Amino acid sequence: MVVLAGVSVIVFALVHLVPGDPIRLALGTRFDQETYDALRARSGLDQPLVEQFFGWFGRAVSGDLGVSFRSGETVTSLIAERLPATLTLAFASILVALLIAVPLGTLSALRPRSVVDRVATVLSQIGISVPEFWMAIVLILVFAGTLGWLPSGGYVPLTEDPGGWAQRLLLPAVVTGVVSGSVITRFVRSSVLEALGADHVRTAQAKGLPTRQVFTWHVLRNALLPLVTVTGVQLAYLLSGVVVVEIVFSWPGLGQLALQAVQARDYPVLQGAILLFAVVFLLINLVVDLLYTAIDPRIRR
Amino acid sequence: MRNRSDRARVGTDDAAEPVEDPVRTNRLLPPAVAVALVLSACGGGGDAVDTGGGGGGGGGDTLVAAVSAEPDQFDPHVTTAYPSFQVLENVYDTLVVPNAEDLTMEPSLAESWETSEDGLTWTFTLREGVTFHDGSEFDSADVVYSYNRIIDEELSNSFRFQNVESVAADGPQTVVITLTQPTPNLLERIGSFKGMAILPEGAADQVDLTTEAVGTGPFRLESSDASSTVLTAYEDYWGGTPSIGGVEFRYVTEPAAALTALQNGEVQWTDNIPPQQIESLRGDDTIELQTTPSVDYWYMSMNYARPPFDNRDVRRAISFAVDREAVAEAAWFGAAQPNQTAIPEDSFFHTDYAPFERDPDQARQLLAQAGVQTPLTMGLMVTDEFPETITAAQVIASQLGEVGIEVDIETLDFATWLDRQGQGDFDAFMLGWLGNLDPAAYYQEQHQTNGPNNYQKYSNPQVDQLLQQGASETDEDARKQAYDQAAQLIVDDVSYLYLYNPDVVQAWAPGLAGYQIRADKAINFENVELP
Amino acid sequence: MTGQPVPRAAAGHTAPGSGAGHTAPGSGASPPPTEAGVRSTQRPPRPRWRETLGLLARNPTAAVAATVLLLIVLMAVFDETLAPAGPNEISVEDRLQAPGWDHPFGTDDLGRDILSRVVLGAAVSLRVGFLAVAFALVAGALIGLLAGFYGRWVDDVLMRFMDVLFAFPAVLLAIAVLAVRGPGAGNTALAIGIVYIPVFARVTRASVLGVREEVYVRASRSVGASDFRLLTRHVLPNAAPPIIVQTSISLAFAVLAEAALSFLGLGTQPPNPSWGLMLAEGRGFIDIAWWLAFFPGMAIFVTVLCFNLLGDGLRDVLDPRQRTLMAGGGR
Repeated sequence: MVVLAGVSVIVFALVHLVPGDPIRLALGTRFDQETYDALRARSGLDQPLVEQFFGWFGRAVSGDLGVSFRSGETVTSLIAERLPATLTLAFASILVALLIAVPLGTLSALRPRSVVDRVATVLSQIGISVPEFWMAIVLILVFAGTLGWLPSGGYVPLTEDPGGWAQRLLLPAVVTGVVSGSVITRFVRSSVLEALGADHVRTAQAKGLPTRQVFTWHVLRNALLPLVTVTGVQLAYLLSGVVVVEIVFSWPGLGQLALQAVQARDYPVLQGAILLFAVVFLLINLVVDLLYTAIDPRIRR
Repeated sequence: MRNRSDRARVGTDDAAEPVEDPVRTNRLLPPAVAVALVLSACGGGGDAVDTGGGGGGGGGDTLVAAVSAEPDQFDPHVTTAYPSFQVLENVYDTLVVPNAEDLTMEPSLAESWETSEDGLTWTFTLREGVTFHDGSEFDSADVVYSYNRIIDEELSNSFRFQNVESVAADGPQTVVITLTQPTPNLLERIGSFKGMAILPEGAADQVDLTTEAVGTGPFRLESSDASSTVLTAYEDYWGGTPSIGGVEFRYVTEPAAALTALQNGEVQWTDNIPPQQIESLRGDDTIELQTTPSVDYWYMSMNYARPPFDNRDVRRAISFAVDREAVAEAAWFGAAQPNQTAIPEDSFFHTDYAPFERDPDQARQLLAQAGVQTPLTMGLMVTDEFPETITAAQVIASQLGEVGIEVDIETLDFATWLDRQGQGDFDAFMLGWLGNLDPAAYYQEQHQTNGPNNYQKYSNPQVDQLLQQGASETDEDARKQAYDQAAQLIVDDVSYLYLYNPDVVQAWAPGLAGYQIRADKAINFENVELP
Repeated sequence: MTGQPVPRAAAGHTAPGSGAGHTAPGSGASPPPTEAGVRSTQRPPRPRWRETLGLLARNPTAAVAATVLLLIVLMAVFDETLAPAGPNEISVEDRLQAPGWDHPFGTDDLGRDILSRVVLGAAVSLRVGFLAVAFALVAGALIGLLAGFYGRWVDDVLMRFMDVLFAFPAVLLAIAVLAVRGPGAGNTALAIGIVYIPVFARVTRASVLGVREEVYVRASRSVGASDFRLLTRHVLPNAAPPIIVQTSISLAFAVLAEAALSFLGLGTQPPNPSWGLMLAEGRGFIDIAWWLAFFPGMAIFVTVLCFNLLGDGLRDVLDPRQRTLMAGGGR
């Protein structure tokens, strides 16, 4: 809660520190003083800043984030419009990431310093190091351009056209999934390694318990903790809008909305979006903490 | 909230109507749709799901158009964004519209008009049998309401009514506009684009115009979300029902992606073409590419209030140092025509005048004559909102470098750019003006002493007088003469350093019929037929 | 000044704050050169430079990465001597030439030599990266040090503030900072730096917590050493390893972040050559002139990869307990 209040103040201050006048921008290149004054009064920007903040904060608490300067729609509806696309991409990416990371990380931890381990390490280093927009452009060029197998971008809701939805989701999910997956792979590897070396595992092995049982019961369970953390961090990152990937794939997510809002100096939208991201971030942290205690009762935080 | 539910009810009524309407011309089409779907499904690839999908309102297929940006909102009187007007062009009508060929004004919602002897009273006779998308009849009260909304609420286009004293109805089919001074370009003012759209009386109070539209145009606004805007054909359109069932404007930011989408059949039309590929695409028979010189111009302007740019010789030196050909080539890969005046040759008001040939020696000499110490540093303000300004500025910088002027390119986001322009905080800036139809608008606002868009603070009494003359002269040829003279002075003084007119570049699927590319970049799908 | 924190019962022997709170790894993990188990009453051997380098040299991957990085840094330092042409020698007639004898990396859309711009861009990209990380390191380490050493309300206030900063999405925070300060290389460094402050603060704090209750620290304290002396002579040097590892990894992310921000038009401004900007400018040409985006893309990729590999190597040598926060900020 303290964090949230802090975030609100910083958001508001930051947003209003940004030079550039949204009203001037709304009028375009053509300028006319009377029109300008009329529009400014209508937007409430002629009020003192402190008053604007408390007005905004009070309404925000009750779920009213104001009205966009640019489109005249409510911020909540703008965000709601974009939420499905962002959620879809974030969860699809995490799925791709885990599908890559869990097997790869576990395999390389079971045979440390083997060929598999080295290949996996190199692959994950490459995945972390490649600029994701570069990968995105190359994938579009290959799969949408040269091969023509997939559409180059855009988004259709699942309910309207499941086939098109899946086709359009594939490339962006792979791009962000590979990057997140590479990060997670390294965590899986090190935490499985750690768990394998832990005393109770060695004890279990010494007792002669079957390997499979030791592995599933003692190792994976312990390795799950760090995995949950890093997955949570990655999910928070993905949910806050992978701006660059969204732009390259014309994916109508929250990141794009926020970037447009910065460019248009659309204060209400920007404030709303960042506030939402902060809330999401805190919620995920909370969920991670809860999962922690669920998985490992020894931990009290 | 109440408005929304009202609209929703109207919407459902409308949706139900077509099914019961026996006279719809495209009733026969569904089998064709089915065939198209089967065919495209066999073709494999991403198009199978796209061609038949979308709107679902009309009987014909939906045209999918890839546009580069999302509309900001749909209130025609409020928005200033081109992406919004791409959509609104197909939804709303104005009293008069620019002709597709030469952009002169021709009848639309007004069938005819008369001007009084003194040029102060214009009487418009309105078209009969026009209905709005909500079914209501169009009449003079709607025109009066729409125009007064712009004037009374001081919306962004209110400057277009500067000379208007009153707008009044004289019976249901007649509107009388009374002026304070003769305004020969009144038709351009009320018809050049859909920002002057006619709404049904009271519309702003009944529906949320930012997200909904009630026009008289060939298509109705069906829905809009973060990835596309969908229009459906309006059966009772006064110009006849469009042959396509609807239009889906899909936002594709990346030009390369838009082009790929067109080539593999995902979309059937786009204006988001990478300029560097225009040349190679001309021979590509998987798409139909057309270009035409636009009435947009891009220019550089220097600050008269900031020495040494107040010195005419310095500005002329810069004008001599710039190679417009190279700038146009760099920014548009041959798809732009260098020009030393505002609008291109085909336009009636084009002024044939080109006194500056690239001449670095003369530039250096003029700088010396002005007593300027080189290297002189000049800030040049450009914006990432229009990337071509960044490209052009880099070329200009290297050209001016040759004559001893160091250009410091300042790339700003548009909001900051506009702020600094408004405050006069710049040495020089680069930008363009789009859709220039009548010189009374563009010359007067941009070059008259204290003109609303004269940010460079240019002032030449002779130009002022010529512009005044042009604004009230009713004889076309005399008008043109006045503007020609003014244009020459503007060019000689380098109030604007005009650079080039880019081409309008659009491409569509081969076999798409009835679409016409226009110099004013209005995009009209009314008569389009899908291949 | 702040009273002696009560030694926690078990804190002396398990390192608190090692991320998830599970026990330290024994054998099996990456070969631990400094035995993590030996944390007895003796002052642990400080990581010495020569030792560190020697160990690093025995890790071939890290050694190669370090060498390549050294070359890149040298390239950035001697950029103008090395580059065959200036960064902005525009020649529209020579635009979009494929790689060949005259231009080994080809020319871009304005006819500039891409090899020269990649060489000159190294300085721009690395400077932003180093500045950003230096800023984050100084500010973050200071905050983490104070929070970890003093604990109590200092810790609460500082780390709560870090939580607030950390709750912002990284890219958006950087975008917002750039919107306030205007684009450009210096501001880009500042923006990226601000984003990474919480990461450094957390790593430092965790590391400081680990050494705060060590016997040698308590011993110095008991003989009346000042807080400043304690911090600079004992706590910081012994808490440094994870911070050093984090620095290398953050450099990788900073170079990537600079590229991403320039890609969005907010970072380095044209006509300055930064790799990210070149990549952004080249992306529109990728299907007719792949070399525009390919070479700067490779430059970013190689540099980032080397920083990451070096970071990995450093971690093996310096921080076998893996206290480094990896998944902070940008990725």
